[in-house]
Amino acid sequence: MILAPARRRPKLDQWLAFATVPFFFTLFGIVFVPLSGMMPPRSPSSSPPQIVDFMQSDSLLVACAILTLCFGLAPLSNAVYLIQIKRMSVSPVFRYSLMVGSMSGAIVGMLFPMFCFGLGAFRTGYDPSVLAMLYDFGYLAYIGSLGCFCVMWLAFGLAIILDTNSVLPKWLGYYTVWQYVTELMAAPVWIATSGPFAWNGLMTFWFAMMIYVPWQIIVYVCIHRSIKNQPDDELENA
Amino acid sequence: MTDLLQREAKTRGHIPGESSMWFFVIGDLIIFAGYFLAYMYYRGQDPELFLESQARLNLDIGAANTVVLLTSSLFVALGTSAARSEKTADGVRLIGFALTLGAAFPVLKLFEYVPEVLAGVTPGTNVFFMFYYVMTGLHLCHVMLGLVILSFVIRNLRDPARKNISFVETGATYWHMVDVLWLVLFALLYGMR
Repeated sequence: MILAPARRRPKLDQWLAFATVPFFFTLFGIVFVPLSGMMPPRSPSSSPPQIVDFMQSDSLLVACAILTLCFGLAPLSNAVYLIQIKRMSVSPVFRYSLMVGSMSGAIVGMLFPMFCFGLGAFRTGYDPSVLAMLYDFGYLAYIGSLGCFCVMWLAFGLAIILDTNSVLPKWLGYYTVWQYVTELMAAPVWIATSGPFAWNGLMTFWFAMMIYVPWQIIVYVCIHRSIKNQPDDELENA
Repeated sequence: MTDLLQREAKTRGHIPGESSMWFFVIGDLIIFAGYFLAYMYYRGQDPELFLESQARLNLDIGAANTVVLLTSSLFVALGTSAARSEKTADGVRLIGFALTLGAAFPVLKLFEYVPEVLAGVTPGTNVFFMFYYVMTGLHLCHVMLGLVILSFVIRNLRDPARKNISFVETGATYWHMVDVLWLVLFALLYGMR
């Protein structure tokens, strides 16, 4: 008879997956902000030579190469969140909505821009007008991809608010509702090409960032506490 | 008198409703304050355009909606007070009336938006109308959520097993916030000269 050895660190799987989250977001931040200069967003009304310069820059090429290599870390971070949402007392509809929303969101919000900017960076020889279209496409997909994220954050927020197992704090649910509202605020980027509602505008980008960045950090801390407080007998792999 | 004193003692030092809702209300007011400041800044950049565009809004429907929301808020307050003094049936009736009035808000808004869009006034017209559609649209989302919350409050009051005054207060707090936001929006978008 073989007895399974006592598991000394039953949550090791969750902690390992959890550790990829700060790594992924830090890498993401470095790639988008200082490395490629993609963020904060360039002006939607940049002149054609400015667009060509940006789209064919070496730093954008390196950024796209890193993105292509580490894209797979996004599902891992969502998996960590989903394990905790599964412990909530709410209907499974919430976690499936979140799962599918995060998948479609990552395709539109991350893969599409990666292909658009990657095409410009890796394939030289495109006409400036084609590059201008890829530039528009990339930024609109990145900032205007609101639908998927809207449903996702709403499902996450409502699940937290309605949960009676206190897996995550209630106020985080309300904070997530604001996160949902800022996604709605991104709709005007399809219409405005300058001013406060353009994709680099005060209302659509800067306000949204002021809510999003602290939110992402707070969710990270709350999920950490939630994994820590999860009783061992509740673990699915116990 | 002793009754009143007891009630006072009970309410002293306690926040009406759940504290997480107060977190939401205060945060939401701060976020909207940011939007209002941005609106004022961009208005200052081009006051003629804003005034001229403002004149094209339907002030009558805006004013009617203000009255609708204020009255609805009054009935929510009366309903909460009735529920607190164990007059549950009155509470249900009063909050039901508040809900009906509140439901008139999106309908009136529709009568405002549709003719505007048909006349070619859309968010793309100019920066004023973008502010107008985005801010009133966000507020409308808050109203819709408020109607759902008020329905849950009524369900909560009707079922003696579920009855929970704190939840009624939470719903009322949210509904008053929706009202306050509209008052500022109405003043900024429709009224300011």
